[in-house]
Amino acid sequence: MAVKIRLKRMGQKKAPFYRIVVSDSRTPRDGRFIEEIGTYDPTKDPSAFNVNAEAAKKWLANGAQPTDTVGKIFKNAGIL
Amino acid sequence: MKQNEAQLDKLEEIVLQSILYDFYGELLSDHKKRIFEDYVLNDLSLSEIATEQGISRQGVYDIVRRCTLELKGYEAKLGLMKKFQTIKDKVAHMKEIVADISNSRDKAPEETAMTWKQLGTITSLAEDILKEL
Repeated sequence: MAVKIRLKRMGQKKAPFYRIVVSDSRTPRDGRFIEEIGTYDPTKDPSAFNVNAEAAKKWLANGAQPTDTVGKIFKNAGIL
Repeated sequence: MKQNEAQLDKLEEIVLQSILYDFYGELLSDHKKRIFEDYVLNDLSLSEIATEQGISRQGVYDIVRRCTLELKGYEAKLGLMKKFQTIKDKVAHMKEIVADISNSRDKAPEETAMTWKQLGTITSLAEDILKEL
């Protein structure tokens, strides 16, 4: 099963807030995900990242692919 | 380093796109809206969307780019996003002042001059907000 690490937009209208989730690449839109491994809050200044580094490393080691945006957040968090 | 900056831009860009979408997304046509949502809200890649919609990756890229331009065009004409931000900042400022006043309820009488000044600031912020509407 191909697994992806994506951002998932949450939060109210006009106040974006993202979860970083691990999900099956074949069902990107049904809202289900395998595990939530972090959050990203761009409304804070500076933007607030919160990543469970241990879980992220575990998933990456198991071949989960982060999207470009998640890759960027991981880089900022010192995981990649 | 260059690549790092480009990616930071991409993250910021996607946040901007999603806020623009909150304000003006309903004005996009259904087909474009679905693709834009997948790209911006669900964080799907161009090629994932392309495979799903049965169009080329370049086609998806063009639609996302055109949607972004369309939404930015609405903002340039209507400015709802900017207005929202200004009002939000001013209300936050007002709330801070009110909290300040509540915290200093037991102050000595000689300090009440400060409170009057703060109340004056709240009033002028409120007037500014009404002007924005």
